[in-house]
Amino acid sequence: MLEMNNQYNQIRAKVLKQFFDGTLEQNADKIPFYIIPKSRVPNRCCIYKERAMIRYRIMAMLGINIETDDDEMKSLSEYVKEVLLEDKPPVPILTTISTACSACPPDRYLISDACRGCFARPCLANCPKDCISFINGKAHIDESRCIRCGKCEGVCPFHAVVHIPVPCEQACPVDAVKKNEEGYVEIDYKKCISCGRCAASCPFGAIVERSGLIAVVKMLKAKEHVTAMIAPAIEGQFPGTLAQIKSALLASGFSSVVEVSQGAETTSVHEAQELMSRKENKLGYMTTSCCPAYMEMVDKHVPFLSEKRSSALSPMGYTALWCKEQNAGTKTVFIGPCLAKKVEAARMKSVDGVMTFGEFASLFLAKGIDVREMEGSDLGDTSLFEDCREFALSSGVASSVLRRLENPQDVEVLSIDGIDKKMFRAMKIWEKRAPEAALIEVMCCGGGCISGPGTVVKPSVAKRLRGGNKAAAPVKAMREPITRR
Amino acid sequence: MAKREKVAVKICVGTACFVQGGADLLLYDEFLDPIVLAHCEIEGVSCLGKCKEADSKESAPFVQVGDIIHGDMTEEKFCRLVTEAVHA
Repeated sequence: MLEMNNQYNQIRAKVLKQFFDGTLEQNADKIPFYIIPKSRVPNRCCIYKERAMIRYRIMAMLGINIETDDDEMKSLSEYVKEVLLEDKPPVPILTTISTACSACPPDRYLISDACRGCFARPCLANCPKDCISFINGKAHIDESRCIRCGKCEGVCPFHAVVHIPVPCEQACPVDAVKKNEEGYVEIDYKKCISCGRCAASCPFGAIVERSGLIAVVKMLKAKEHVTAMIAPAIEGQFPGTLAQIKSALLASGFSSVVEVSQGAETTSVHEAQELMSRKENKLGYMTTSCCPAYMEMVDKHVPFLSEKRSSALSPMGYTALWCKEQNAGTKTVFIGPCLAKKVEAARMKSVDGVMTFGEFASLFLAKGIDVREMEGSDLGDTSLFEDCREFALSSGVASSVLRRLENPQDVEVLSIDGIDKKMFRAMKIWEKRAPEAALIEVMCCGGGCISGPGTVVKPSVAKRLRGGNKAAAPVKAMREPITRR
Repeated sequence: MAKREKVAVKICVGTACFVQGGADLLLYDEFLDPIVLAHCEIEGVSCLGKCKEADSKESAPFVQVGDIIHGDMTEEKFCRLVTEAVHA
C-alpha cells in the first residue's frame, strides 16, 4: 500500500510545515486541494471524495475522534484552532471513517469459473456441513450452511474455490472489529487492544489512528526542554546510523536523545530476577510485559494471565522515569513503531507524548532534514545496554533476559511471534493447561516491533539495515547477496 | 547479449525518498530479474536534488537510470525502466 502511505507522509509533512510557519489555522482547509489537484486520476470514485478523505485524515492527525466529533459544517481551521488551544489524550487511538468504508460483504467462500465439475469432487467429499451441491455440472456453496472452514479451498485441484475475506475483521486478533447494521466498520473499544492491525489491513483506509503529533510539535515550537526516547526498532528505519539519527533529532528541535534500550536493560534485569524468584517459589511460567498490546489483551480478554506477566515496567516506562530523574522539568516523548504505546503512555504520568516512526519521518520532511547528510553525534557509553537493542526483534527480549541469568540453559523459552486469531485462542487454553516453558516472550506483531504499524520501511528492509552501521551505507549491505551469485 | 558497459542505476536514499518508498526499492535483488540484474550496477546514493525543485511534477522516490532521473517510482516501474535500459 505504497501510495496510501506516501499520501499520509505528504499530508503530515504539509500540515507540519504550515504549523511551524504559523499558518496552519489559516491554510488548513487548502491542504486537501494541494494533495489532490484537479489533474489527479482518482483511485476512489472522484477527486472530491478523495479530498474529503484527506480532510478526515487531517482530522485524525489533529487527534480528533472522527466517530464522535465529526461535524461536517465545521471547517478544518476551526478544528485546528481548538487543537492548538488544548491537548486531549487521543484515547481510544483508533477511529473509523465510515464514508471511506466500502462495506465489504461478509467473509465467504465462492466457487469460481475455474470449477471443472470433476468426477472426484473432493470439495463435496470434504465439506463437513454438506453445503456443496452440483448445479449444471459445477459446484455451488449454500451460504446459509457454510461455516467458512476453508476445507474445500484446500482440496480443490483447480484452485476454483476463492476465499473473499473482510480484511479488517480477519486482521483483528480479538474480534473487536465488526460491521454495524448498515454494513460499515465499527470497533468495539471494550475489546480493542490497540494493536493497529485493522488500520494497516484496510485497503480503503477506513480505519485511522488518532495522532498525538500536534501535542509534541507544540512542545518543540514553544522551545520546551523535550527529551526524545527512541525505541530500539529505530535502527534501520532511516538511512543513517543511530548517531546520525540522534543528530537529526537534535536538529529538528529536541533537546536531548535517550535510547529506550537503556530502559530495556533495566526491564531485562528485573525480569531475570523475577524469573528466578518465581522458579524458587514454584509459581510456574512468567510472560514478558513489554508489549503494550499484549498487556491490553490480558486486561481485556485473558485476566488469568495478569499474575503470570512480569511486574517489570516496559522499557519506555523505565527510560521515562530515568529522564525525569535526570531533569524533572523535561518533557518526554517516546518515538517508536507502536500504536498501543499511546495507550500505555496515556496511563503514565512520566510520558508526555508518543510519536510513530512514520510521524517522525514527516517531521524530517517538513523541516527538510536529511539523516544521511548529518554529522553523527556522540551516543555516549552504550556498552551496558547495546545488546538490548534486540528488544525490537522477536525472541530478542527473551535472549536479553537469559543473558542476565546465571544458568540460562535451565530456562525453557517459548516465543510468541505475533498474536493472530489462532494464537489468541491457544493462549486462552493456557488457563487450563500451562505451556511447557518457564519464560514466555510475547510480541503482538509477528517478527517483533520492527513489523509494528507505525514503521516506515518493510520489516525485511529494516532487518537488513540493522546492526553495525549498515544503514549509513545501505548499498553495500544490500549488495552482498549479489556478489555471491 | 554482447559484453558491454553495465547500466548505472542510482536509487536515491536521501531521507525524503527513503521514507516514501525508496527503502523498499533496496530489495531489488528480490524482485528484479537476475539476468537484468547482472547487466546493471545498482547503488544507493545521497539526495539527487530533484525533490527540491519547486516546479517538479514528479515526487519521491526518485531513481536515476542511465542519465535520466525518474520520479514516483514503484517496484513495477523500476523493473520496467531498468529492463528497458539493459535491452536498449
